[in-house]
Amino acid sequence: MFKLGYRAVGLSLVSALACLAAGSANAQVLAHKDISLAMATTMAMTAIESCKGQGYNVSVHVIGREGQVILGLRNDLAGPATYENSMKKAYTARTFRTPSGKFAENVKGNPTAGALFLANIVPAQGALPITIADDVIGAIGVSGAPGGDKDEACAKAGIDKVSADLK
Amino acid sequence: MLKTAHIVAGLALALTGGAANAQLAAHKDLTLPIAVAMAETAIQTCTAQGYKVSAHVLGRDAEVIVAMRGDGTGPHTLENSMRKAYTARMQRRPSGDFAKAAKENPTIGALHLANMIPAQGALPIKVGEDVIGAIGVSGAPGGEKDEACAKAGIDKVADQLK
Repeated sequence: MFKLGYRAVGLSLVSALACLAAGSANAQVLAHKDISLAMATTMAMTAIESCKGQGYNVSVHVIGREGQVILGLRNDLAGPATYENSMKKAYTARTFRTPSGKFAENVKGNPTAGALFLANIVPAQGALPITIADDVIGAIGVSGAPGGDKDEACAKAGIDKVSADLK
Repeated sequence: MLKTAHIVAGLALALTGGAANAQLAAHKDLTLPIAVAMAETAIQTCTAQGYKVSAHVLGRDAEVIVAMRGDGTGPHTLENSMRKAYTARMQRRPSGDFAKAAKENPTIGALHLANMIPAQGALPIKVGEDVIGAIGVSGAPGGEKDEACAKAGIDKVADQLK
């Protein structure tokens, strides 16, 4: 009787410990860093002003880790399509973890690539992923300059502005 | 012959009318810096009260000029702030007033239009009587608190709205 009791206690202790050990491993939350609105605003305004300084009226989006819009800005006189386009470029850069221009190049040889049929994907240069080391935490997209390379340069100016804080 | 004269007279009238029609509509619109100042002020005002909110500023044609998702806000707040602002712009009145109208008449047609939402928290932006856009806020515990932050945004740039 006693023995049985001890065994039962022993077993439950062992299983409880096992559960605790497994539980604590599973229970660890994901720790990561995300873009704040303040940082997104600095990036986007820098991109807008960088393009404006060259005579280009553009729209800009900064999106976060989950592709969520953190900030969208439409500059005065930017074309109607630019707002949506800047979002889609940013989304493309975020989800493929690569400049949207690189994605555009990649699908040139495969115009029926499945990814082209997903929502919000656009094969157009002008957006860059925002990274902390290898972790892509978002993307910035620009649209409205006469050429995706010019859009991308303004996006890069936005990232460069806050690069010291991306760590 | 008489008919021809009539036609000529008619053409002359049409031309006169044409000259009047040819005048372009002159109006004032929000700039990006004004819109950013409004949205940032609205978010900061709510943040200072402990409320995490998102904000939208829309222009004359309900185009989005600024969209800002506040840190730590609920996922729906960005869309909701846009729809409140859209409603205020379309109705040319606070979105809370439209919410009241919808309560009295739950089958009001406007409820079935895209982007309309019967919820307080957005105000039209005016130059005189001309509605040039709207600002919408979402995330505070109560539409009246959202609206107060939207109003703070408008107040911030009031001297430029003329």
